Amino acid sequence: MSYSKENVESIVNNGISRRSFLKGLAASGVLSSFPGGILQANEDLNTKIPYLGEKSYQTFRNACPRNCYDTCSIKTYVKDGVMQFIEGATESTYTHGGCCVKGNSYVKRVYSARRLKFPMMQVGGKGSGNWKRISWDQAMDIIAKKLLEMKKEDGTLLGAALTKYSGNFGITHYGIEGMFNSIGYTTRLAGTPCWPAGIDAQNLDMGDMWCNDPEEMKDSKFIILWGVNPASNSIHSMKYIYEAKKKGAKVVVIDPVFTEAASKASQYIQIKAGTDGLLALGMAKIIIEAGLHDQKWLDANSKGYKEYKAYLDKEVKLDNVSKITGIPLAMIKELALSFAKAKPATIWMGYGMQRHTNGGSMIRAIDAFVAVSGNIGKYAGGARYGHLNTWGFNYAALSQTKPEGSVGYTGPEGAKGDVAQGKDAKSNYTDRFLNINKTARELINAKEPKVRLLWVACKNVFAQDFDRNQLIRAFQQLDLVVVADQFFNETAKWADIVLPVATQFEEYDVNVSYWHYWLTLNEQAIKPLFEVKSDLEIAAMLSKRMNQLQTGSCTFPQSVDTKAMMAKEFNPGIYEQFGIKSWEELKNGPVKAKAVIPYADGKFKTPSGKFEFYSDKALELFGSALPTYLEVRKPYDKFRMTSPHSRWSLHSQFQNLEWMEDVHPEPYVYINPDDAEAKMVKEGDTVAVFNKQGLLRVKAKLTDNVQAGTVLMYEQWYNNNIYNVNELVDDTSSDMGAFKTGAPGVALHDTFVNFRKL
Amino acid sequence: MKTIQPHTSSRLDEVKHLRDIFNAQNSKELKVAFDALNASIEISEEDLEVQFNRYFIGPMEPIADPFASIYIDDPDVVMSKSTLHVRELYETMGFTYPLKNIIPDDHLGVELDAYYQLLYLEEAKEITYLSDLRHYFLHEHLSLWVPRFIARALEHSEHDSKAMTFILLQLKSLLIRETTTQGVTA
Repeated sequence: MSYSKENVESIVNNGISRRSFLKGLAASGVLSSFPGGILQANEDLNTKIPYLGEKSYQTFRNACPRNCYDTCSIKTYVKDGVMQFIEGATESTYTHGGCCVKGNSYVKRVYSARRLKFPMMQVGGKGSGNWKRISWDQAMDIIAKKLLEMKKEDGTLLGAALTKYSGNFGITHYGIEGMFNSIGYTTRLAGTPCWPAGIDAQNLDMGDMWCNDPEEMKDSKFIILWGVNPASNSIHSMKYIYEAKKKGAKVVVIDPVFTEAASKASQYIQIKAGTDGLLALGMAKIIIEAGLHDQKWLDANSKGYKEYKAYLDKEVKLDNVSKITGIPLAMIKELALSFAKAKPATIWMGYGMQRHTNGGSMIRAIDAFVAVSGNIGKYAGGARYGHLNTWGFNYAALSQTKPEGSVGYTGPEGAKGDVAQGKDAKSNYTDRFLNINKTARELINAKEPKVRLLWVACKNVFAQDFDRNQLIRAFQQLDLVVVADQFFNETAKWADIVLPVATQFEEYDVNVSYWHYWLTLNEQAIKPLFEVKSDLEIAAMLSKRMNQLQTGSCTFPQSVDTKAMMAKEFNPGIYEQFGIKSWEELKNGPVKAKAVIPYADGKFKTPSGKFEFYSDKALELFGSALPTYLEVRKPYDKFRMTSPHSRWSLHSQFQNLEWMEDVHPEPYVYINPDDAEAKMVKEGDTVAVFNKQGLLRVKAKLTDNVQAGTVLMYEQWYNNNIYNVNELVDDTSSDMGAFKTGAPGVALHDTFVNFRKL
Repeated sequence: MKTIQPHTSSRLDEVKHLRDIFNAQNSKELKVAFDALNASIEISEEDLEVQFNRYFIGPMEPIADPFASIYIDDPDVVMSKSTLHVRELYETMGFTYPLKNIIPDDHLGVELDAYYQLLYLEEAKEITYLSDLRHYFLHEHLSLWVPRFIARALEHSEHDSKAMTFILLQLKSLLIRETTTQGVTA
């Protein structure tokens, strides 16, 4: 028998042939003869000409929910239920119609063959690689029974721990914490590995963490990008920086590493890591001595300026500043004086700087310098770090009541994380908080009851938490590890159950940024693929099963609609702030909060109501009322190792996609040529980088972008690669973080290593 | 040109069993479909599924993804051009797909289902209206990627699973038989 390819293709592609073929098919009675299977006979054949099917584009509003300054507003184009491409929303002047390469790869991410597709259980033990499919009902049954068994045996659910962080910052994703709230008092890995020392510093100084609108930077006359690399990690901010520069502003990058942003700046100043605070103190001293400080503003708006000045006078020696920071004194003077003369001038502080043992004190010192220069509370000025000023949602998904009779923790109140969950006023109990920055040791050491179940969501623990070897031990001693994720990462490898989670395109949500001031609706654009579920649906299914097994054991709604849950997050305050009457207006595009200049009214949320150079709270909590120079951690090995964010990934996300793998297929250690020569290492050699924590084998790249005495490796998760920089990073704390986030940050840039050629 | 005419019921049944293997939702369904192939291989339900998942499902990267688009368009993504081409073919064949936009249309199990149903029309009902489409589907689509899928699974296997090798060889012989039985005119 033969067939004609041309004939078939004509039937498929030519409207008239197709109509006549389908009419014949319908008339022939063939359809009733199909035996039926997954495919069914279509009794409603579409024979229209031209046949468009569902070929026209539908558009949807989406947001990039990743842990990124830019939190892009996205427009998604869908044809016949399949995402075709996305673009940045043009309505947002910040996103300005363009996403980064990671964002533009979203179609490939959603349809990645590597996505987790089904709930699965590892039947050969953690790490065995022997996996079996289970239904959602089976998964929920196993987890619910384990929770109820623990509750019965321990008398509490404190043996159940949740670690969740920034894999999805959509507001309804706090429903994961809500799920844990709804089963009783539990254990939380709390605090934040991200920015806690800086949050504390800004709160001590100004009573809040609240930055000016980044779009104002276009009108700044002097911009210092201090330990921040927006050319890689906040590309949408660069247009404002370029515009300012074009209009004559000076843009200076201060960083231990010569970054992409440094290459775009007017001037790059390479500083020794961990000495930034001293530089800021020296710069403040210089402008005060030159009489360029804003005495009027200081008199009206600050507390403790006198004590601060006395400290500068007595303790800060400019020769020492130069020596310790490694920057020539003339350069420091020129920088300080030109900054003070430019109005408005602003400093943007990155999150790397505060990841030192003296990180909080360094942010305080820079805040103080900006204050002395009179740039706090000014349009296009400010000491910029981040903000949560537009995050005033209801947190309806988060706010769940405990089941009646729940018993919890009675010890001192612990860490809370970015969104505070206060102690229940009506209860004598709290959740038990373990420091997220010491996850491995805290899981191992928690007693009475010990942690037996760990739920991981929006987080790749093995890529982001510290001391991988100890983490493996911690996971192995747990009875049940549940990992809810989109991809099979190293954390999933050590799970008992993996649950496939929806992307933002498969659910409703709402997003804001910790940097810009836009609000974006996230609509469900496509059906969830395979058997993936949103985190909220998973919580509802768990609630349903728990209540079937024991009525009243879980208060989370037993069925949810992500759209309805999203709608519950809005309130009059949000509507007022963004000038809308209903969230439905966001279908027309993102909206921006009404303009406001932080602290322009001179009202600070500190105890004194002023900018506090002298903070009683800082004295009480951290032993120093003033922003003083605190020496950084002493080296414990030959080279400092710094592990910043890579431009090819967002923490552990995106690097596993083809586009990123194409341009950046494998990890490297970046070594200064002088250090490499001393160790006889050449470009491309495989080296062992090692310290008391562990050892990594990785190829060397030689570059003087990093200083002699320092090596650099990006924190990334690579698909099918054992590389994990946290093999080498211990969990030493930074100085601050415990005040506002409940646990100190981690001083990951104070890691020291040695290396040798292999 | 070879003109082998295998026994009709076994020809149909083999497609059906292979279809059912690739569409199995759990160990039990998989074992029933596998046993129906008369492999004479002793293997437990759990071992069979663990091996099957390592080859074709995940959760870690399987040895060979069972989607046409992986071999025709892009090794990393599903729901691409060839998936939508298959969707159009199904629509022209008179099928509707309840899992549209959930499981990609070009999943091997779905494609074998289409092929099985079309073959059933011809063999069991003696209806030839869709015969050209079946041939087109076989020669211009299945033959384009299934051999590559089989080769990848056989070549890259470090696990040497007798059961999986058997499934793959059955699929290979089915494809050879179907293509040589029917002949091609370009």
